[in-house]
Amino acid sequence: MLKLSQYSLIAGLMLVVLALVCYIAVLMLGRSVRRAPVMEHAGVGARVGAGTSTGVGTAVGGTAEEVAAAGPRSLALYGTYFTRLSLAFLTACLVFRSIETGHGPFGNQYEFAVAFGWGIIAAYIYFEYRYHVRTIGLLVLPITAGLLVYAMTVGDTANPLVPALQQNLLLSIHVALAIIAYGAFAVSFAAGVLYLIQPAEGRRGLPKPALLDEIGYRAVIFGFPLLTMVVVLGAVWAQIAWGTYWSWDPKETASLLTWLVYGAYLHARVARGWVGRRASWLLMAGFACVLLTFFGNLFFGGLHSYAK
Amino acid sequence: MSQDTRTRPAETGESLDGLDDGASVAASDVTDRIWRFFISMRTGLWLILALGLLSLVGTLLVQAPAGMTADPQAYAAWVASVKPKYGGWTPVLNALGFFSIFTSVWFKAITVLLTTSILACSVNRAPRLWKLAFHPRARMGETFFKHAPLRANLLLPTGPEVAVEDAREVLQAHHFRTVTDPDEDGLNLYADRFRWGPFGTVLAHLSFVLILLGFFLSQATGFGSGFKDTNFTAPVGSRVQVGHGTGLSVEAKSFTDAYYPDGSPKDFASDLVLYKNGVQVERQTVRVNHPMTWDGVSFYQSFFGVAAAMQVKDAAGKTLYGQAVPLQFQSNDGKHSLGEFAMTDKKLTVQVVGAASGQVDPNIKAGQVELNIFQAGTDTPIATKVVDQGKPATIAGLTYTFERTRSFTGLIVARDPGAIFVWVGSTLLVLGLFLVFFFPHRRIWLRVRKTSSGSEILLASTMRRDSAFEPKFHQMVTDIQLAGTPSSTTDIQLAGTPSSTTEK
Repeated sequence: MLKLSQYSLIAGLMLVVLALVCYIAVLMLGRSVRRAPVMEHAGVGARVGAGTSTGVGTAVGGTAEEVAAAGPRSLALYGTYFTRLSLAFLTACLVFRSIETGHGPFGNQYEFAVAFGWGIIAAYIYFEYRYHVRTIGLLVLPITAGLLVYAMTVGDTANPLVPALQQNLLLSIHVALAIIAYGAFAVSFAAGVLYLIQPAEGRRGLPKPALLDEIGYRAVIFGFPLLTMVVVLGAVWAQIAWGTYWSWDPKETASLLTWLVYGAYLHARVARGWVGRRASWLLMAGFACVLLTFFGNLFFGGLHSYAK
Repeated sequence: MSQDTRTRPAETGESLDGLDDGASVAASDVTDRIWRFFISMRTGLWLILALGLLSLVGTLLVQAPAGMTADPQAYAAWVASVKPKYGGWTPVLNALGFFSIFTSVWFKAITVLLTTSILACSVNRAPRLWKLAFHPRARMGETFFKHAPLRANLLLPTGPEVAVEDAREVLQAHHFRTVTDPDEDGLNLYADRFRWGPFGTVLAHLSFVLILLGFFLSQATGFGSGFKDTNFTAPVGSRVQVGHGTGLSVEAKSFTDAYYPDGSPKDFASDLVLYKNGVQVERQTVRVNHPMTWDGVSFYQSFFGVAAAMQVKDAAGKTLYGQAVPLQFQSNDGKHSLGEFAMTDKKLTVQVVGAASGQVDPNIKAGQVELNIFQAGTDTPIATKVVDQGKPATIAGLTYTFERTRSFTGLIVARDPGAIFVWVGSTLLVLGLFLVFFFPHRRIWLRVRKTSSGSEILLASTMRRDSAFEPKFHQMVTDIQLAGTPSSTTDIQLAGTPSSTTEK
């Protein structure tokens, strides 16, 4: 079982990388398609002058564009299939491991890193399906790949659970909700980045800012109630394990910080002067807090320091 | 591109119905200004961010253990211990209260301001939400039907009365509530769904305040019958008073600790019997994650160790002390574990010292403890002696016997009257958030006018933060069209595809 789990992880990681390669290729090809007419005209002479690609190259560039466009489109489709397949493999990885260990993916940093990657891919697939925006994958897939590689480096020894972690149902729900929320936040982060690198009126080849704003918001309103439940269930667990629902443990505090930043974002979306760019900056800050919460126990110890 | 049809204008903070607008109170005097400050969304936003900043400080900087600030000496020692980490910044950070950020004046001030802001906003908003839900405006002006982000225009062969009835039936079939309001210009119809959704905002905000209140009550020592004892020890076989006016006492029948083959802990279990005024009321094996609760008082497995069963007799043979002393404290060098007991009649305090587990001390061997006897209130022992297990030793006129070692279990015993507020608040908070985000108030206004060939229906809706509503709106428009048209050949004129109505 453990072997199967490991192979699934490797397959999942390879598929994520493949999907990323597809998307990058689409982006590059898309660029060269747009540039192609200009270059051809540059060869023809000064007839076009300062005129750029649009409309001018219809006669010459038209066919080239069609040929090249078929390539990217099918490549993009492959990218989509690869991401879906990678989700299947990551699911298999987590399922096999859970069967072997007898508990959810909360035993150590390895399990949670794989689950985090799973959450991001799942959220990405949903948003790609819903909004047809693959560009987000360019940011989301490297994060996933990074997490999976990280998982491989921390080692996958399945340690027995210390007494405080022997609370299977509650902790499984706690972690399951956390990874879905974190996945949604990763998508909102990607949408925020794409929003911020564009001028207000948008840039060719990138999704429209208004759409990105929408995706970022959708992802947060999906993730925020879940994060709230994660914090509450964490408090419930703290109450029964340590006799106090809140003890300002660094991981608790970091999750509160994350909750506050996304809470601020939700208010920023309706506050004058904050709509748009500032709100998108809060998405950056929010995901930074997610990562701080996730990696935090590596350096600040505390009650969550099960990674040791 | 298909995604374009889903876009909508970036929100500018101006809404069609003023739901999210700031208040329109004239700043005529100070009270008004203060009020406007607190109900401003931006004030709330800055306060949330400020609280976030303090949390960030609390995450990144090492925090002094809870309650340590109450003991200046221990606190000073603690600050000195973090000095190597923060160097010259240590006094600055200390002066700013950053080592106990969650009890600092900053944290308290921001929390109070945020609470005020939340309450002010709720008071400010609730009446408007109430009006929108229960006394909605059924009639909209002509401009609204021309500029609403979602709108449609239908021409039907039926007369206005029939058309409005058809429309009403369609809307009701889509689970919308309908309100009619005829006027001289035509027939007006208002329809909405999830009208209680927006109250989730108020619910979520107020429950956050409830959580803060609960937290405050948990922290406030002496509120009601609340207490928390993190150092409660019960040697196996002895009955120990819980105190704090509970009338409870606990006896540990046994304590067991189990380990995995790799040495990591597997299980800690205490078999506890609980007595109320001497009568047994409860018996349970308490483990990590399995506390025992009786009458609001909870017992959590926390730590364990070795206790020394001691007996002290005076020269006449009268027993002055006869209990197990938990060696629950660690010496500063970590080499010894120690415990203490007092004989108040004799004004004596006795410190019992043993080698810490895994430590070897040539002076205190296995089967031995060191006794340091103090005159109560003094720091220098009047006598110090290492005694062997089972061998009575006479020190300063009293006979001390170290009878044997026993396990003791360390418990957290607590009654937290604030917790219930936190749990109720948390539940309502989650409920409120789901209401706000997943049940957005959906509203449609219709105006039906008579035309030469039948009637014209104008439909319009706002679509704030609710893109999922758009396809549903169009579905309803189509359904109304079909309901009013005998043949299915009529064109539907959708005036309002969002891409063409992008405002500003």
